[in-house]
Amino acid sequence: MDAQLKAMWSTIPPATPEELAGARQRLLDGMRPRRRVVTGPRLLIAAGVAAAALVAAPLLGGAGTPAYAVTESPDGTITVTVNELHDPAGLQARLGAAGIRADVTFLAAGEQCAPDRFAGVDETYGGPAATRPRELRSMVDGSRSAKATQVTSVRTIRISPRYIRPGETLVVEFRDNQDARVPWRLGAWLAQAGTSVAPCTPVDDPH
Amino acid sequence: MTLSREAVEVHDAILIERSLDEPEIFSVLFDRHAPLLHRYATRRLGPSEAEDIVADTFLAAFQHRGDYDRSRSDARPWLYGIASNVIGKRRRAETSLYRAYIRSGVHPAELSGLRVEDGVGTLAVNRPLAQALLDLSQADRDVLLLVAWAELSYQEVAEALAIPPGTVASRLNRARHRVRHALNRQEQGE
Repeated sequence: MDAQLKAMWSTIPPATPEELAGARQRLLDGMRPRRRVVTGPRLLIAAGVAAAALVAAPLLGGAGTPAYAVTESPDGTITVTVNELHDPAGLQARLGAAGIRADVTFLAAGEQCAPDRFAGVDETYGGPAATRPRELRSMVDGSRSAKATQVTSVRTIRISPRYIRPGETLVVEFRDNQDARVPWRLGAWLAQAGTSVAPCTPVDDPH
Repeated sequence: MTLSREAVEVHDAILIERSLDEPEIFSVLFDRHAPLLHRYATRRLGPSEAEDIVADTFLAAFQHRGDYDRSRSDARPWLYGIASNVIGKRRRAETSLYRAYIRSGVHPAELSGLRVEDGVGTLAVNRPLAQALLDLSQADRDVLLLVAWAELSYQEVAEALAIPPGTVASRLNRARHRVRHALNRQEQGE
């Protein structure tokens, strides 16, 4: 009996470093001094990565690898692969062709867009600060912004148009993470329909 | 590259002690134990939950590392004890995995390419096992699977769950009896 139970699902292998990268990053994030105040626009940057299955892989780069790719799935979702933070206008246009009104910004390491670029549809942008990870998590879990854009691996995000209402703009900010294993971090929010999104003014991110 | 078991055991307690002053050291403990802990969580709850289980376990362990009993050189019982609590909060995910397996015969983490060649025979054994696991109480299942899948000793399970060794033995007996019963019934039914 013990032998049969031990053999049950024993072909499942130990996790690879790639499969563990996301959990490892969460541990590293959790090791930093606590009680930092997390402001609205930073929310999804942190949460997106926390929710992601992060894959450790060398930066692809080089010839033949497109900076980004956009693929539409039969289930209506759109997968965006971002290998390099290059040509945001091209990516924005490509998303437009896929039916997503988007505003795409690529940021250097240590930069963020100055706040109040737009009016968000929920508290994840410009809302009250969350001081605790759990608070942050519940805020993010309940938000349509978070459902509309999920980080699915270190290089890919999945956009679910069913969470985006007519006229809303998907605002995405990719920041260079200076880490070959996790090349960028993402902030993604929905801007209210009928409002405009101001261009990003990069400012130093003090965090 | 391979460390002897003794070397690893000594290192866990020392690592945890050193991590009190140098928190980053704790990531070494992660690198050492997360691969198998992830596998354990994947077997019990499936691949989509495993990452959260591992992250929550190590975050909780990190936060409570000051309480670690440093006379215990091997941190596995401590880590799997924390993991058992984390898993217990998601028992619905666990039971639905077993139910789905009983229905479909496919565990989501078993790649088809890796299936053992006698897949049908395996299924004939695994299905009643999954049903038996489903029918166990969470406490009995924890003990049984910490022994069978995490390969902890009785004493280590007692440490992990902070229960007396006698309780480990009685839970294990009860769980084994149920599992054996389920397998016998299967054989007679075939």
